[in-house]
Amino acid sequence: MSDSPRRSTPAPPVLEARGIDKSFAGVHALKQAELVIEPGEVHGLLGANGCGKSTLIKILSGFHPLDAGAVVVNGEDVTDSISATGLRALGLSFVHQDLGLTAAATVLEHFTLRPENGRRLTAISWKDERARLLELLKEYDLGDVDVDAPAGELSPIERAQVAILRALDQGSAPGGAPRLLVLDEPTVFLPRHDVERLKRLIDRLRDRGDAVLLVSHDLDEVLDIADRITVLRDGENVGTVETEGLTRAELVELILGSTLKGSRATLREARTDGREVLAVTGLHGTRVDDVDLTVRSGEVVGLTGLAGSGYDEIADLLYGSREGTCTSLTVDGKTVTGQTPRSMIETGVVLVPSDRKQLGGATELTVLENMSLPLVNKHFRQGRLDWKRLRSVVAGVCASLKVKPQDPDAVFRNLSGGNQQKTIIGKWLEVGPDILLLNEPTQGVDVGARAEIFSLVRRTVDGGAAAICATSDYEQLLEVADRVVVFREGRVYTELTGAHIGKDEIASAVYGY
Amino acid sequence: MTIEQTAPAAAPEEKKGPRRKVELQRYALLVAWIGLLVIFSILMPQTFASTANFTNMLGSQSVLLIISLALLTPLRAGDYDLSAASTLTLSAMTTAVLNVRAEMPIVVAILGGLGVGLLIGFVNGWIVVTFEIDPFIVTLGMGTVAAGLVFGISSSQTITGLSQGWSDAVVNRAILGLPNVFFYALVLCLVLWYVFEFTPLGQRLLFVGQNREMARLNGVNVEAVRWGALTFSGLLAGLAGVMYGATLGGADPTSGSSFLLPAFAACFLGSTAFRIGRFNPWGTLVAVYFLITGITGLQLLGAQNYVQQLFYGGALVLAVVLSKLVRKRQARASAQRSAG
Repeated sequence: MSDSPRRSTPAPPVLEARGIDKSFAGVHALKQAELVIEPGEVHGLLGANGCGKSTLIKILSGFHPLDAGAVVVNGEDVTDSISATGLRALGLSFVHQDLGLTAAATVLEHFTLRPENGRRLTAISWKDERARLLELLKEYDLGDVDVDAPAGELSPIERAQVAILRALDQGSAPGGAPRLLVLDEPTVFLPRHDVERLKRLIDRLRDRGDAVLLVSHDLDEVLDIADRITVLRDGENVGTVETEGLTRAELVELILGSTLKGSRATLREARTDGREVLAVTGLHGTRVDDVDLTVRSGEVVGLTGLAGSGYDEIADLLYGSREGTCTSLTVDGKTVTGQTPRSMIETGVVLVPSDRKQLGGATELTVLENMSLPLVNKHFRQGRLDWKRLRSVVAGVCASLKVKPQDPDAVFRNLSGGNQQKTIIGKWLEVGPDILLLNEPTQGVDVGARAEIFSLVRRTVDGGAAAICATSDYEQLLEVADRVVVFREGRVYTELTGAHIGKDEIASAVYGY
Repeated sequence: MTIEQTAPAAAPEEKKGPRRKVELQRYALLVAWIGLLVIFSILMPQTFASTANFTNMLGSQSVLLIISLALLTPLRAGDYDLSAASTLTLSAMTTAVLNVRAEMPIVVAILGGLGVGLLIGFVNGWIVVTFEIDPFIVTLGMGTVAAGLVFGISSSQTITGLSQGWSDAVVNRAILGLPNVFFYALVLCLVLWYVFEFTPLGQRLLFVGQNREMARLNGVNVEAVRWGALTFSGLLAGLAGVMYGATLGGADPTSGSSFLLPAFAACFLGSTAFRIGRFNPWGTLVAVYFLITGITGLQLLGAQNYVQQLFYGGALVLAVVLSKLVRKRQARASAQRSAG
């Protein structure tokens, strides 16, 4: 591998990062990491939480300086000049999970905000800008996007498409060289069926000879979309593999270095012997329309469906954190009316919200404080909060759930997604719930933590509680649910139990084929 | 002070580097205050370093400290109360009008003053919670209403001749030559500190301020907490008002408004001390005295009166900038600790 004569070869890699080293305060986050992306390929970057993939992305986007190594873009060594704007000029663009759109600004306004417009002194010609944008949208088959709609009013997939197109629009490679689009967890907040539309956009880029780097936790998705996958483990390259013929199991093994114990579903018999702990009739929400649901102790009820089918509303409706009505709701035989999160916690119902980033915790506060919040009344004795006791309780939960770092004083924001989720669930288990409501509990969580979270839920339920788990991830339902309720157009479409819970069965119920 | 009790009990090893820096920053304001005291004392051993000056500095700021503590509770819950200074003035004036003009007993007049503060806070909270409006705007409006009421009930006149007994209760110097009001303010600091750190209510306030929706999902009655915080703020502003009246021996319709900015400056500057990034009573206390020390020292050195405004205004802006910088550094430090 010599560096010099690369310029003469017809098509150098779009991106070539070699020997990348990065340490933070003694922690060796990246060790000789390599990433080579060829023009016209969709490249997946995978690894468990803490493997260094976000560090690598942050180095490429100019956020962190690198300690050692070289970055070559389209044959040009840019190691010394990596900065956000510099890379953009070289044809690299980044779309992060939050998409970076402004809810109140229209699509057109988003596209008008370009460096060259920032430099001009004359007024912007909205007519020209509109024509330019319409042209661009048409080029990518996105002609039906309303350019005058505020970004906040677009559907999730449209938002993703607009964000991607805008990123591409802002970064143009010099001399028509291929571009590289980096998608950092782009589908986490996308409904499953919309991923297909995203895939079409990505295919369009591939056809043009551009390259896409896809960073994701969702193995199926990466297997489906990417041509090659680079796997990092503990800051080192495990390898770069072709997806052709690669199985999920092989991929998991690459990521973890060992096969997951018990991650494959062992089909369970549906539990029908438990007592009825929750029953709701005539539940109505934004989309949910007259739903009856019963949950028994000792079972995990999976809820799924297409986006808009209402399955994702149920947990919040039951918890009182979303406006809705019902004819009757009984928890443990007692009738509940006018439920609020407060009253539901008191009756033994707790919720793990889907939007962990916004609702999971107070990010600036410590793990101790975050986990203590629902416990403060219990530990208020003789007019004083027993922090010593709370600390030991929290430390105990963190130890048993293997939360990293094992430090109750760590700031919540600095925990990885999986670890945050463990503290959220752990906190509730300490409250001792009868019913655990889970909304997309393993979104953005790495494979290892995911398995731990599932086994945690299972143990809780085996202890006599019950759980409702709403997710669009069928794989997850296979692993965790005793019974799957499939929603369609706001109503319960069908219910799958025991041996009928399979990925194909769920998919056919969801899509109705 | 035992503030560190609930602070991270430093586990051995590993967190020495970045955390120690943060630990030091917690005491930066205290050190800066002591530094100012030392420097001015060396420069002016006769005038500045006199007992009279020290007791004067400590005593004169008590009302400011109480009004700052009034702002603290809603700030902790993430809300601004811009009506506090006008509430203070209205309470002082109500007390004076009831006691002097209506010739009611001072106890009734005081209760009237406190009641007015409570009422304004309650209305603030009601509007904010019921109509889901930003308290910034609501309290700005309510503050102006209160300021208008002051002129109405006083006919725009200064009232003097407030009950001597009440004035004595507030300004008498029984201990260490300091006025009683200083100790009232100190007790209030202690109470707020205890509530913030050692009660469930304190934790709820904190979470409502940090992440409202998360607090709601964890069973916190967010509306009640915000409403309560604003009401309490009104009550404390009322308390500051009746104390202020006592120090003046009456009430005037305008001077109270000058408390607002110094009080915010003290709260924000105080949030850079002891519990960094959190509004806390001991930080506020130190901030109040840091500011008056600087102002007094400069004035004794010959600076003009306007140095007050420069100092308070500058301190508010500086405090906000500082707290931002400190938080950034903290974030970086702990991100590096848990990087990987």
